[in-house]
Amino acid sequence: MLVRDIMSSPAVAIPVATTLEDAYRLMREKGIRHLPVIEGQDLVGVITDRDLRLATSSLVPSPFPPGSPVSTVMSRPPLTADAADPVEDAARTMREKKIGCLPIVEDGRLIGIITGLDLLDALMRMTGADKPSGRLEVRLPDHPGELARLTVTLSQRGLNVHSILTYPDGPNSVRTVLRIGSMEIRALAHDLRRDRFEVVWPPEKPCPR
Amino acid sequence: MPSVIFHPAYSRYSFGDAHPFSPVRVEMMLDLLEALDQPARVMAPEPATRQDLLRVHSEYYVRRVEALSAGEEVPDCQDYGLGTPDTPAFRGMDEAARWLVGGTLHGARLICEGGEKRVLQLGGGLHHARRNYASGFCVYNDLAIAIDYLTRHGLWVAYLDIDVHHGDGVQQILYEDKRVMTISLHESGQFLFPGTGSVHELGSGLGRGLKLNLPLEPFTEGESYLEVFDQVVPAALRQFRPGVLVVQAGADAHFDDPLADLMLTTYDYEAIFRRILEWADLFTAGRVLFTLGGGYALRAAPRVWTILHLLIHDLRVVGDLPEPWRRKWKATLEDRVPAALHDPTPSRFDIPNREEIAHRNRQTAQRLLEGARPYWF
Repeated sequence: MLVRDIMSSPAVAIPVATTLEDAYRLMREKGIRHLPVIEGQDLVGVITDRDLRLATSSLVPSPFPPGSPVSTVMSRPPLTADAADPVEDAARTMREKKIGCLPIVEDGRLIGIITGLDLLDALMRMTGADKPSGRLEVRLPDHPGELARLTVTLSQRGLNVHSILTYPDGPNSVRTVLRIGSMEIRALAHDLRRDRFEVVWPPEKPCPR
Repeated sequence: MPSVIFHPAYSRYSFGDAHPFSPVRVEMMLDLLEALDQPARVMAPEPATRQDLLRVHSEYYVRRVEALSAGEEVPDCQDYGLGTPDTPAFRGMDEAARWLVGGTLHGARLICEGGEKRVLQLGGGLHHARRNYASGFCVYNDLAIAIDYLTRHGLWVAYLDIDVHHGDGVQQILYEDKRVMTISLHESGQFLFPGTGSVHELGSGLGRGLKLNLPLEPFTEGESYLEVFDQVVPAALRQFRPGVLVVQAGADAHFDDPLADLMLTTYDYEAIFRRILEWADLFTAGRVLFTLGGGYALRAAPRVWTILHLLIHDLRVVGDLPEPWRRKWKATLEDRVPAALHDPTPSRFDIPNREEIAHRNRQTAQRLLEGARPYWF
């Protein structure tokens, strides 16, 4: 999944001369928290609702007056990303720098923006949580061919896998979580166990005593 | 006298012998009522018309179902959830599905125009079907179509879904409708198909606060189920004051069900059905329309629905299963034939974290009520 698949485009941006007051009003109107700042065609900074609040708070010894231009408060130079970057790269940048958005730039021009919320949407799409599906969780030995063995079994049953998520689980195994477009995950789990897969979910059902 | 709706043509809604959504479940139930000397007196509906379907479904979706039904190729059918392993296409599927819709719609008409109080539709309950998407064995959404009929005729509807899967199609179709409250109890979507039905899905627009979801922990037993059922459902009904209850009575929360992980017994189902009838008397002048739904354990679902049938007729729920019936269905049940209408008394299960499950369910119910209540006043 690429940044262009999840970004908002075009981005709402403001010129450097915009006042703090007007930037604040625009955020309220549009229900947004991040504004790229442009000078001509060029992206020169980013201002967030947090920047505004910190700059103008009465708790600050000398707060900026509402009429100050955003250039006095914005972060610069802005961190940006490319529309063709993988989503996980953008996520890593935002996490490491502890920032809430990334303007997307192509040939020096602002073409869009992604925020933390867009990344959450991406997470939901990647985990298949946005389509009717059931969950299957399998622990696989961490060596080549195991995932293939699993997916071949699924494709033989004509099952449509909406998503696969694999992450390390202990020293020699990985855990694979799949969302599958099927009501019959239990029957599938039964067959997978017969084929000596370690199925974590769904477990065997308790029997009546 | 309660009305029971059925037509032999319902059995045409069948995805093949190996598929769990099998018409044999109702056949076994009707046969069991006969064997118990309480034969069902059924009235026959008409199949729903294309016009009926279009109240809820998109024309381009219906057109695709019709084409598949006629044996034509529909290259993009999987984009509409059709021709998938769960909901395969078959010859005549359009008409078969319209029979089920027609039955539920007939039930709605009996209540609106015939002044009927209790209606049991022995089929339908296809709660996963969406406007333009077949899903989870469901092609047309008979429930949403019947609910649309009821609301257009002046009855506000409380829809109660006790199928073990979230009633996502009904909820989605009616998400903004202020005349319909939906309440779904189901195994949490974190674990089970279709994945939705969290407490945060509360409806939108004028329907905000009227779409309620109670997702339950895997291996929830009857005691915990009934506790949160009692906590949420009557409070919601008291607030909403519906004109009629529509109940999707799926039997797949039973412990024997092969598709899901809740642990209800037939005793729990009896308790649930008794409460629903009681609440109908209390809140909707007795008006209640039941459909069937999921329920894939042939050992359990026919007994659960037989119990429902007896209860709506105010008949006692006792008895061993008659020997001829047991003999007749022995092979179908692979020799494990239940001895009585109820499960062996009382079924208990080895569930190590029983207390934690009950605790989490309690918290979920509380979170649901806290989320919905601000919209109720």
